[in-house]
Amino acid sequence: MTATTGNGEARHAIGVAMKRKEDPRFIRGRGRYLDDIKLPGMLYLALVHSPYPHARIRSIDKSAALALPGVAAVITGEDLDAAKLEWLPTFHGYDKQMVLAFGKVLYQYQEVAGVVATSREIAADGAELVEVEYEPLDPVVDPFQAKEDKVILRDDRTQKTNHIYHWEVGDRAKTASALDASDVRIKERIVSPRCHPAPLEPCGILADMNRATGRLTIYMTSQAPHVHRTAFSLVTGIPEDKIHVISPDVGGGFGNKVPVYPGYVVATVASVLTGIPVKWVESRTENLTTTGFARDYHMDVELGATNDGRVTALRVATVADHGAFDAAADPRKYPAGLFGIVTGSYDFPAAFAEVDAYFTNKAPGGIAYRCSFRVTEASYAIERAMDVLARRLGLDAVELRRRNFVKKEQFPYASPLGFTYDSGDYHATMQKALDIVGYDELRREQAEKRGRGELMGIGISSFTEVVGAGPGKQFDILGIKMFDSAEVRIHPTGSGIVRAGTRHQGQGHETTWAQIVAEELGLDPQELLVEEGDTDTAPYGLGTYASRSTPVAGAALAMASRRIREKARKIAAHLLEAPVDDVEWKDYKFGVKGIAGKSVTMKEVAFAAYTNPPPESEPGLEATYYYDPPNMTFPNGTYVAVVDVDRETGAVNVRRFVAVDDCGTIVNPMIVEGQIHGGLTEGFAIAFMQEIKYDESGNNLNTNFTEYLIPTALETPYWETGKTTTPSPHHPIGAKGVGESPNVGSPQAFVNAVIDALAPLGVTHLDMPLTREKIWRAVSTSGA
Amino acid sequence: MNLNWSGQERIPAPKATVWAFINDPEQIASCLPEVRETKIIDAKNFEATVAVAIGPVRGKLKFKIALQTRADGNHLDMRINGGGLGSVVDLIAGADLTAEGDAATVLDWQATASMRGPIATMGGRTVDSQAHRVIGETFANVKKRLSAQG
Repeated sequence: MTATTGNGEARHAIGVAMKRKEDPRFIRGRGRYLDDIKLPGMLYLALVHSPYPHARIRSIDKSAALALPGVAAVITGEDLDAAKLEWLPTFHGYDKQMVLAFGKVLYQYQEVAGVVATSREIAADGAELVEVEYEPLDPVVDPFQAKEDKVILRDDRTQKTNHIYHWEVGDRAKTASALDASDVRIKERIVSPRCHPAPLEPCGILADMNRATGRLTIYMTSQAPHVHRTAFSLVTGIPEDKIHVISPDVGGGFGNKVPVYPGYVVATVASVLTGIPVKWVESRTENLTTTGFARDYHMDVELGATNDGRVTALRVATVADHGAFDAAADPRKYPAGLFGIVTGSYDFPAAFAEVDAYFTNKAPGGIAYRCSFRVTEASYAIERAMDVLARRLGLDAVELRRRNFVKKEQFPYASPLGFTYDSGDYHATMQKALDIVGYDELRREQAEKRGRGELMGIGISSFTEVVGAGPGKQFDILGIKMFDSAEVRIHPTGSGIVRAGTRHQGQGHETTWAQIVAEELGLDPQELLVEEGDTDTAPYGLGTYASRSTPVAGAALAMASRRIREKARKIAAHLLEAPVDDVEWKDYKFGVKGIAGKSVTMKEVAFAAYTNPPPESEPGLEATYYYDPPNMTFPNGTYVAVVDVDRETGAVNVRRFVAVDDCGTIVNPMIVEGQIHGGLTEGFAIAFMQEIKYDESGNNLNTNFTEYLIPTALETPYWETGKTTTPSPHHPIGAKGVGESPNVGSPQAFVNAVIDALAPLGVTHLDMPLTREKIWRAVSTSGA
Repeated sequence: MNLNWSGQERIPAPKATVWAFINDPEQIASCLPEVRETKIIDAKNFEATVAVAIGPVRGKLKFKIALQTRADGNHLDMRINGGGLGSVVDLIAGADLTAEGDAATVLDWQATASMRGPIATMGGRTVDSQAHRVIGETFANVKKRLSAQG
């Protein structure tokens, strides 16, 4: 297989739009997901949830449930407390989470008890029969109310406050004086509302404690099986060698399958207690109401600028609503994740950001929904605020961005909030998007329409992401450095098996990883089997989230392959009867310098590695590599949305959407395009239809797919994509990661477009989701 | 989530008859629509199991109902607490009686409910209209029964 990349380079496997190797099984319904796994005699777990968001538990009566034929056990917080399994550490280690409510419930739908039975239906009926007597307490659902500390929600903590942490980055004093000295200042409260990743396959586990071997096998919907093995060992005290985690095919994760949830622990405890496999698969409502939500950042954003549109300072003060427990899946030393990327694509002389997080009577979470930790919130804040500033200055949104972009020659660029941006060409990327969409012509059309009173808007987002966590010296989870790993074994006949510490959830690793290894070794990607998700066989890795797979594990794959190539070179020298130093890797095979026509392929070398290795050498052809990246990667792009807003109904028609991404070297352009389409569709939903809302009594109002909307092909706009390529200078193959760019970069393009359409009515900002009702109200109250 | 409803029934029966009727748990229980089972506890309290089918909330809800009268013989509160299927409902329905001559009585009712759990998700939409209908039918049944007696 030899192909030409988009850049015109002749490449063997990288850059080839190869069809996904995993798809034949997925499209035939032959994937093997968690709920497809059935073990003989297995029991089912159903959970009892609290209808109250805040209440004391007076009593739990198990008797009626236990009397139901088929119910094997009822587990409560008290039972777990007796087993010292009542509390679960959260990933960054400075808070803990109740497994089953004990003493007090802290959010609606919190897990209160578990019923284990011989069928899913009996377990559900049994859960109905568990009688819990509650003493309702007043709930605190607003983080600004929580901030007042009138009611302290967590009485298990020594700190008598709802405040969880304060985090800040940047130069506070310099930023304050730069803002004061600015010709123009804007300030806007920008909210990134609570939303939910809602993967199509909900979370689940099948725990199988084998009392004969003493080994616990855990099948679970996991984006990070190795970390989960370590977490299970730490929580249960079971030695890590006695735990085997298998993450089978995963039907979407988007960050939702990173944390450890109560259902996992209760099912495991039930299997340990009974010696029988126990399965728990959550319902859609359980997924939406209890497992990791995303965002819920309330950001006060201030920008300063000169009269001619040069930004002078950025200040952001954020109130973060973390719900009842701080279960945000951020690296240990980064409670607000990578929010420091809030300066975006712009060269700010001064910047300061702070985040204060609070407990509320809402579900815990704060996971990175298809974004590197808190990058979406940061990107939304700066891109929305730049538009507010442009309007204040009377400058075109494109022109303001152009004047303030970090310039190509400034890379590597040290941002005022502590990142070193590795590469990019923001001006070129934006220009490409403007050319595709026909920006100037659209502005002319808009002016004409405005003259007729029609509402047309153009929204720009020129985002910069920070992904690929991360350098182990900065980033860890549970103390484990955020490296990733790869193992490559080449068989005697030149095919092979490739394993990585990551776990795909539909991203196409089975194809992409084969392409990276094939490129490095000149082998056929069709003959390289990729395997992930089994902790007994795959090397230890931190998993797939935060757009880290290609930046970290992808690098490990290239490096492991290069180790193989080094060994192969010695075998090739033996076969070619040439000194090792004279053997070179050229055109995907080994040749001898200066001697044309004399060469051996990797396939021939592989055969020799097992049948005819050089004397005194180690046979075989395999390698492992643990890659700790020297820096993060900084994918970026410019997205342009064009919308028409109907004055009478508030309906928005997204007429055009152009996404130009720079994710560095592209391994498989078809997969990258698919990733962009998927992420844009999610960003579209976040911008226009999705929010996990609570009423004043703490009721979750979006508990199912009739209330929490997922766009279908009918609503989804037509996506136009393009690319620029500035390879990452520190990544072995120059890749930056792309999975999350479209979700990070698109919501603000939609919102900016709608606000641009409403600008003649004096509207400067509206918070997502931009429902028809919200837009209609904004139009109707404008008086225009 | 809090919901409020109100309504009025004109009943062709003397006020004293209506008052006696709505103070009798057995009589009131028989007026609740879609009741599967009632259990009279005492002169002021009874329990009712109601079948519901509101969107994804389908099954039986169990309620405890307490009747509280005002000494003036004009006002009755029904306190209804209970739930099931993961939901909790607290409802107070109040009825005011005004005599209209000797043979007729006007019954004005108001109800407020707070709901928690899956049932609240359907809040302002399905639950609102369904609960309104159930409470309205209860008082309409009071009228029907008393009219039949008359």
